[in-house]
Amino acid sequence: MTTTVQAVPKWTPTALDRLWGRDPDLRPALRRGLLGTPGLLFILVFFLYPLFLLVELSFQAKAGGWSSEHYLRIFNTTVYAQIIWKTAWISATVTLLNFLVAYPFAVALARSKGWVRIVLLISILMPFWTNLLVRAYGWIVVLHPRGLINTMLGGLGLIGEPVAIVHNTTGVLIGMTQIMLPYMVLPIAAQIEKMDGRLLQAARSLGASPLRTFAHVFFPLTLPGVFAGALMVFVLSLGFFVIPALLGGRRDILIAQLIHFNLTKVLNWELAAALSTILLVITLGIFLAAQRWFRLNSLWSEVK
Amino acid sequence: MGEDKMSKIERHVLANRRTVIKGLGAGALALAAPAILRSAHAQSKEVVYATWGGSWEDAIRKVWFEPFTQQTGIRVKTIQGPDYGKIRAMVRAGKTEWDVVEVNPDFQWTGPREGLLEKLDYSIIDTTELAKEEDFKTEYSVAEGLWSRVICYNTKKFPTGSHPKNFVDFWDLKKFPGKRVMYTKANGGILEAALLADGVHRDKLYPLDVDRALKSQDKIKEHVLWYDTNAQAVQYMQDEQGVMGLMADGRVQFIKDKGAPVEIEFQDSQLTWTSFVVPKSPPNKENAMRLINHMISVESQRLIGLEFTYGLVTPKAYDLLPPGRADKLTNGPAQKGKAIVMNEKWWGENQPAVQDKLNAWRIL
Repeated sequence: MTTTVQAVPKWTPTALDRLWGRDPDLRPALRRGLLGTPGLLFILVFFLYPLFLLVELSFQAKAGGWSSEHYLRIFNTTVYAQIIWKTAWISATVTLLNFLVAYPFAVALARSKGWVRIVLLISILMPFWTNLLVRAYGWIVVLHPRGLINTMLGGLGLIGEPVAIVHNTTGVLIGMTQIMLPYMVLPIAAQIEKMDGRLLQAARSLGASPLRTFAHVFFPLTLPGVFAGALMVFVLSLGFFVIPALLGGRRDILIAQLIHFNLTKVLNWELAAALSTILLVITLGIFLAAQRWFRLNSLWSEVK
Repeated sequence: MGEDKMSKIERHVLANRRTVIKGLGAGALALAAPAILRSAHAQSKEVVYATWGGSWEDAIRKVWFEPFTQQTGIRVKTIQGPDYGKIRAMVRAGKTEWDVVEVNPDFQWTGPREGLLEKLDYSIIDTTELAKEEDFKTEYSVAEGLWSRVICYNTKKFPTGSHPKNFVDFWDLKKFPGKRVMYTKANGGILEAALLADGVHRDKLYPLDVDRALKSQDKIKEHVLWYDTNAQAVQYMQDEQGVMGLMADGRVQFIKDKGAPVEIEFQDSQLTWTSFVVPKSPPNKENAMRLINHMISVESQRLIGLEFTYGLVTPKAYDLLPPGRADKLTNGPAQKGKAIVMNEKWWGENQPAVQDKLNAWRIL
């Protein structure tokens, strides 16, 4: 912004003024900077520095000195690539399933009022506050060959033999989808709530069918929430450990299990660090891509 | 050796600690010299023991620690969760807080390789009564108790007598149809079992032919319920999803006592053990050695034999148990000649590579 009043004698800020943020050019930026300092310091000391140490550790040879031996081992042993691929595939599937379940739920949540809203909110948050292990064992009880679902289906005569829905990849997908649900529901619901209802009215009054209004107005407006939720679910799924171990079967080994094994069983922290670094790079890559293509920022900025 | 492997960060932390300690030390030394001299004479009256906890901890507190404290005046403080990662973190940071840790035998080799263990002082620890098994005693470790992985089976499906009697039977899907319960861990006995099923002689198992073992596993893999934790194994047998399994003897005994229709076949059971180790630079080193010496004495072993069914590391102690009791213990007289001792040294050296192979096999 340029000032139009030129009569005021030009004031040059001293160094002290600058320090106190009295320099008009620097003021907003500096003030923002000062406010952010504690948070920034916290992130620097407790997050970025340990992260740096992790990457550093991944380049240390078992025999001492620097080396890329752990990365070479990961790239030269097919099983690591297979497990990373499996992890990405499961995470992507969980994200998709999550979207399918979460979207209608988010619409219902955002549109509900009074006690219905409270019930919906609690039903999504209660499990969220429950211990992960308890939930995993809860799922075993439900999905077990003689569990709730199989007993019900068998009782209705729909199946002869119990269906295998736990201790295999299906079990992992079901368990992870449920656990990740709040991360998808809440951003979408938030997006719906800040939507300007007049846009929908306008579409309808211009003759669009409800379906068309949804496809061309409602859905696109919720996309930032969908992307934010999808990103969160995908990234968190990449690091999942407990659910695959308890609900999975022979084939379900994810990268977090490998990291855990190297960290606690054979004490190869360097290899564990290299695996973590690879996971980190993949995650950052996905985040940057999402940022660039899906305008993730718009979730935190005002809707125009 | 530990020093070379120490990462830069760890050295940095250590160096800072040293500077601080030096700075404080210079001032404090002058004031506290007499006190330090005195404390060097008077032994510390404590020892820190890291245990798996639970009812096991209650038992060892009663039969090992309480008598030890009575005899020596040294109190035993327990910590639950003897995590290898924690040992590494503590030792590398130069802040060892544990004196004695109970571990699986693979750590007898993993620990020293990472420079994490103190050599045991065999001028204090008397091992004359210890079983002469090769790896029960190393420079860094001494055996604590025995346990084994055993074949167990559902008695409703297969009444004792016409039950699976060895791993050839275990692999026989026609004669014994149903799901088998097995560990996903490389050193969980599955490869040894696969080789025995494939006709390898029990004395010629090691070094394991991993490829042959996995090929043998292929024959039954679709009929296996895999477990990642012992609790899962217990559940599979208890709810009768599994008709037979290869799992820890104590766990089978536990559900059998609770009324589950299971029985144990001891033929080809895989005998292994747990060990005592001392992390590098422990706070009470001498007390640690004295406590270990106390725990492997014939009397201590006899007493634990009355509380738990783990096997005893001093053969003499079996003879001192009341009639019938010894047969209930791992490797008791009734099981003589049936068990195969796991080559834990081979596992300590080969576990990472074999686990990679096993994972590749699992995921396909």
